[in-house]
Amino acid sequence: MRRSPWPLIAVALLLPGAVPGQTVQNATLRRAQQSFDNLDYRQALITGKAALLERLTGFERARAYELLGFTYSGMDSILRAVDAFKQVVLIEPERDLDPNRTSPKALSAFQVALTQVLVVRQLRVDSVDFIGGQGAVGIRFTVTQPSRVITRVVGGSLGSVRIDSTVANGQVNLRWPARLPNGDPVPAGNYNVVVEAVVGQNSFSTSQSIRITHGAVDTLPHLTSLPGYTYLPETEVPPKSWRPMGLALVYTGVALAGTSALSSGDLGSASLREAGTVGAGVVLAGFIMTLKKPAPQPARGNILYNQLLREQIARRNTEIAQENTRRRQQVALSVVPLARPGSGR
Amino acid sequence: MNSRLGGLTVSALATLLLFYPPNRLDAQHFAIGPQVVFGDYREVTANLHYRGGGLGAAATVTWKKFSADVAASKIKYKPEKDGTATREFDASEFDVRLRYYISGPVSAEVGFVNRKADPEFEAQSVGAVAAGARMAYLLGPGVRMGLYGGLLFGPKFSGGGTASALGGALELGLGMTVDALRGRLRFTGDYDFQRITRKTNDGSGAVNVPIQQSLGRVGIAVAF
Repeated sequence: MRRSPWPLIAVALLLPGAVPGQTVQNATLRRAQQSFDNLDYRQALITGKAALLERLTGFERARAYELLGFTYSGMDSILRAVDAFKQVVLIEPERDLDPNRTSPKALSAFQVALTQVLVVRQLRVDSVDFIGGQGAVGIRFTVTQPSRVITRVVGGSLGSVRIDSTVANGQVNLRWPARLPNGDPVPAGNYNVVVEAVVGQNSFSTSQSIRITHGAVDTLPHLTSLPGYTYLPETEVPPKSWRPMGLALVYTGVALAGTSALSSGDLGSASLREAGTVGAGVVLAGFIMTLKKPAPQPARGNILYNQLLREQIARRNTEIAQENTRRRQQVALSVVPLARPGSGR
Repeated sequence: MNSRLGGLTVSALATLLLFYPPNRLDAQHFAIGPQVVFGDYREVTANLHYRGGGLGAAATVTWKKFSADVAASKIKYKPEKDGTATREFDASEFDVRLRYYISGPVSAEVGFVNRKADPEFEAQSVGAVAAGARMAYLLGPGVRMGLYGGLLFGPKFSGGGTASALGGALELGLGMTVDALRGRLRFTGDYDFQRITRKTNDGSGAVNVPIQQSLGRVGIAVAF
């Protein structure tokens, strides 16, 4: 005889997600779980309720109510399932069901239970490093019912400082600049971020411990050069040329020709002995200078470039000095969330 | 005795300057030294033709864009064989130039020239104001050359006569300096050409009596 696969699929869908690290020790509760696994819902209900009358740990009590919730869901008794899940949420507000492993009926009953209980869940404080006054700590949590939510930071020399007060429902995101009312950064130490939700006579609060440490803000080193830019030589040796010789010939030629041209016709041909002697010296000097390695000449473009580069570096160093002065007056804040001591009530 | 003492003083001063610490000579703006002078002098006609040589001294001072040259020389001019002149004479010349750097290679010059002939009646003594321009060029490290030209204004002659302001008296020159011993020693060579179209009038009309001199100066100077 072939058995239908549907009961096995139903069991698999109804099974809650396993909670690592904790196990059920109570024998009655284990029997109830076994009955549920065998799809014996009636027996699971009886033994589950019996287990609740016994002495259970918080985890086991939540597990017992959860089992009842799943069982009622399997028996299509939604209202009772919701009631059972409400107890689960009250005992373990952070409890979530795995949507991939939970039946839609149980999942919807759990969601309905969440809306009927006032809890603050999934309080998270971001681990961040920032300069005091230039950043903020991200705080997130979920409120299950519309309520007045007051968020405070408590501890150390701070006393109690209110961060936020608002009417909220669902996901809430806050940004806390970690500053005192006078603008100073919060002193280093351990603090608690406390979120309290109040609606009518009902209230719920949860907290998250954080550690705030102070550090010096890194200063910037002064620049000696700009990356990718190097100084250029301010003089350059021009290539050898015949220019000195040519100019010496031109100057001497002008002197000789000028002497001949300007000399008076009444006085006969001009004497070129003196001009020739000095001119020969000039031409000889020009010839030697042509053969010699030319003297380095100032490279105007390079000089202007280096001047520009020096001005840029000086300007940047001035900015860095001002920035460092400002940074030495600042505090680097490091905010780290600590392990949660327990859930809220 | 006095001239011997003066020579010793000049030699001692030159030696002192040569061994002066180089780091104290970074701003060498003054140079002074002796020169050998040789020249060619003609006057009135090609027959009055003299050549000669002598000694001189020159000093240069530079300050920012300004510089000044002072040159003094004494030449003994002797008549050339192809001329009709019979007596030699001494020409003592004193030149002063003040120069202002304008731009590029160009400088402007003003100054005066004074030349005295001895005996007085063998040649004309001349005094005039000079103005012109100089083009200088750096041939290489420590080697400079310059070309200059100008006019001589208001020339006065011991024998009288005039020269027109424009084109009547001209001056042309070529110069060179070569630095040695890290600029402490300076070899100089200068050429000066003067042509003065002098005119006289004894009542029978204007007569051309030109004067022309070519002067070469080769010397050494100590800079400090």
